[in-house]
Amino acid sequence: MTVPGPGRRLRFTFDGVSLEAIAGQSVAAALWAAGFRALARAPRSGAPRGPFCAMGVCQDCLLLVDGVAVESCRVAVREGLVVERPERPA
Amino acid sequence: MSGAGSEGRTWDAAVIGGGIMGAATAIRLGLGGLRVVLLEAGALGMGASGVNAGTLSLQIKRARLMPYALRGHALWRAAGERVGFHQTGGLTLAFTEQEAAVLTERMTERREAGAPIELIAPGRVRALAPRLSDRVLLASWCPVDGYANSSLTGSYYRAALREAGVELREGRRVERVVREARGYRLEAPGASLSARRLVLAAGAWSGRLAAGLGCPLPVHARVNTVSVTTRMPRLVDCIVGHATGLLTLKQSDNGSVLIGGGWQGRGDPDRGPGAVVAESLLTNLRLAQYALPDLARARLLRSWTGYEAHVPDFYPLAGALPGLEEAYVLACVRGGYTIGPYIGRLLGDLILGREPELPLFDPGRFAAPETRSRREEEERVDGDERPIG
Amino acid sequence: MSEYDLAVVGGGPAGAAAAIEAAGLGLRCLLFDEGSDAGGQVYRPPAFAAATGGPDAAAGAALRAGLAGSAVERAFGHRVWFAGPAAEAAGFELQAVGPEGNRRVTARALLAAAGTSERVFPCAGWTLPGVTGLAAATILLKSQKVLPGRRVVVAGCGPLLPLVAVGILELGGAVAALVDLNGPADWLAALPGLAARPDLALRGLGWLARLRRAGVPLYTRWGVRAVSGREAVEAVEIGPVEADWRPSRQRPALRIEADALCLGHGLLPASELTRLLGAAHAYRPEAGGWLPVLDEAGRTSLPLLYAAGDGARLLGAGAAPLAGRLAALAAARDLGRLSEAAFAQRAAPLRRRLRRAARFGTAMARLCTPRPGLVEGLGADAVACRCEELTRGELGAAIAAGAGSLAALKAATRCGMGPCGGRLCNATAHALLAAAGRSAAEIGAPSARPPLRPVPLAALTGSFDYADVPIRELSPR
Repeated sequence: MTVPGPGRRLRFTFDGVSLEAIAGQSVAAALWAAGFRALARAPRSGAPRGPFCAMGVCQDCLLLVDGVAVESCRVAVREGLVVERPERPA
Repeated sequence: MSGAGSEGRTWDAAVIGGGIMGAATAIRLGLGGLRVVLLEAGALGMGASGVNAGTLSLQIKRARLMPYALRGHALWRAAGERVGFHQTGGLTLAFTEQEAAVLTERMTERREAGAPIELIAPGRVRALAPRLSDRVLLASWCPVDGYANSSLTGSYYRAALREAGVELREGRRVERVVREARGYRLEAPGASLSARRLVLAAGAWSGRLAAGLGCPLPVHARVNTVSVTTRMPRLVDCIVGHATGLLTLKQSDNGSVLIGGGWQGRGDPDRGPGAVVAESLLTNLRLAQYALPDLARARLLRSWTGYEAHVPDFYPLAGALPGLEEAYVLACVRGGYTIGPYIGRLLGDLILGREPELPLFDPGRFAAPETRSRREEEERVDGDERPIG
Repeated sequence: MSEYDLAVVGGGPAGAAAAIEAAGLGLRCLLFDEGSDAGGQVYRPPAFAAATGGPDAAAGAALRAGLAGSAVERAFGHRVWFAGPAAEAAGFELQAVGPEGNRRVTARALLAAAGTSERVFPCAGWTLPGVTGLAAATILLKSQKVLPGRRVVVAGCGPLLPLVAVGILELGGAVAALVDLNGPADWLAALPGLAARPDLALRGLGWLARLRRAGVPLYTRWGVRAVSGREAVEAVEIGPVEADWRPSRQRPALRIEADALCLGHGLLPASELTRLLGAAHAYRPEAGGWLPVLDEAGRTSLPLLYAAGDGARLLGAGAAPLAGRLAALAAARDLGRLSEAAFAQRAAPLRRRLRRAARFGTAMARLCTPRPGLVEGLGADAVACRCEELTRGELGAAIAAGAGSLAALKAATRCGMGPCGGRLCNATAHALLAAAGRSAAEIGAPSARPPLRPVPLAALTGSFDYADVPIRELSPR
């Protein structure tokens, strides 16, 4: 649901799927725009969770970005970034 | 009724301190038929009893305390789910020759004291915990070791105190204890009450309360650091320690990894809560990551501290306060999370006039002036059975 | 000796203005922020060219230009995770994880200007993907140019409601309903405060006109009852509320098809830093909750520790730079770098302007002062603590069993122990405890512990050898 407009396009992968983002967008926002809203799972029920606060608080957008677990709303997309859902906790 | 306090009644016993020690003693007294009031400055089980790393390890208990630890361990197991008890087995790791020598000596002594501990080779360590460091030279293994969730201490004892008919008063910081003709008057802001028997079980604050009664005790406090990571995939099933006692590590059911080992924060019990010291914390984390390399992928969620009280010989204060009638202390129990529920019963029995199953630890041993310096004593047990965690 | 005279944590309008002021007075000043540049949430640096425009963008650009022209040393992309007294010098020690790993600095004085997070009270189904905070929505809309959904319900209270709704329209989305807990009478009560900033008040009226033109259904003194959907939001149930924001029993609820819900109940000052350092705090619900006790210049109860901006009390973005500059003056004064006379002369006009600017921010904050019915009316099955997935019923049971403080409730249930650090559940837990008759003093301020936010453990440990770990030499027993 990204609004088309100016801005350089970048490519990154999410769980192996190649996606496009606008330079400067956060990983979470780029994923949201690409239709990926459920990024995490609730700890007890396993119900889907999606980005909620967009400011690094809720941790419901925590992803592995180039192998490091980070809040994906706090990281800007870079060309070739490899983004994955983390392994489910124990 | 003589010596009535402002409440107009005299309790059979008043216990100061709502940690494991105070609660376990109060419950024994309540079940023994006494009318007991328990006064806690904050909330029940929120001091050292509630913020320690929950380790239930026989490998970090000194030989003389082993009979107490074995019985305490059994009580935690009986409490089961209510305290989040898990018997996982425990590994203690040595990475150098020197550590291996110390491990061998200490674990041999502890096995002789009754703990089912065996020394195992690195191959067996890999089988038990394949993700631990491959630099282990020697380890010890105790199959009954485990952990409980110390956060549940408060809710567990709140229910148990209610069942035992103990009156619980939280948010009551006893400022002063005064001797009366038959018993003691306890003064807290806005309230005072009288009791025939007094139990000081206020952890690091016990020394000051005892001093107020003319009975100084050399109580010192350590400021132990504990940390927890965010949830991780399953990394290790058993609890893990280090030959020096400077590391405890366990992964909870929910995946978070709890890291302790008695690394020191800063603080003074009389001046408020303690605080984490970053350099101390970072060292603790490095040691943990060395033992379990996958921690490099974890996120540190929270670190905190708790006061652990001790006396110069690092054995408990458990018994009658010298020179006073019907006044007792129970504090400074190293490994107190494991031992507390049991030693509280012993003190309760002593107060009720029953013969305790095992001997207590007479606080009167400190009635004479300290002959050895505190430093000397601390060095003697250095590295051994570090505080909580 | 400390490396810096003043460290400022937070590069929003308060922190950035404070840093510029301090540097102008000759203080060696270091400014930390997690973001890539100054501006904070309100003047967030635009992510890309398309995301510019509007008065906020101009204010943000001016702030960044001022900072670039100053002697302030900037540490962007840094997450401050630790603060304590420095061991080797008078002052504070800070540790922050940045692009180069963990960094430790010392500073004689410290200003907390960490801004806010958002307070969102729960409702049934609010954990579904597609539910975001109102502040989250403004970030998506303003700096990311991403729509929260195609057909969105915007609900909660306060000035973010029309802002988000208009933002959705501007990006071509549809607003299925705007649901405001406040009624016209509540907004009327805020009018005197609004008059302090006619420009902003006019902007608000413009938003309302825009929404009316677009035919957005407006429900006042209504709230969200539940969100439903299988994998994400599919519908939002709304209904009228009583004066205390409790769901009204009399009138029927309405089910609205939507693929997103933006929900928020005001801002939550990020006072973790001053709480971690042990400064005195007081509970002031109308100004955001547990806040550091401050004097008129932003001094906390601890020497050389200051707080300013919405992280100290909710006075709004207009007041923040003034409060920041005052705190910088106070720091310079307390460090002996400014005479009392010079301080008084410079502080007086700032104080006057601050009082005026604060009227607007205070009126806005009051529109979001929590009312008890919002949480009391919550169903037992609704998730109250997101991180640990604890229901209102589970928290209620623990409170009934005797947990009478935030700390005891946390210990008994894990509420607040999860990765959000309690930021998303403390307000709810506080309200539930208050509903059970506990006073704010009994409930207590949430504890602040390092790290202030989760940090990668590897960034803290860095590279090391076993020999580097200072294990004290073993002694015989």
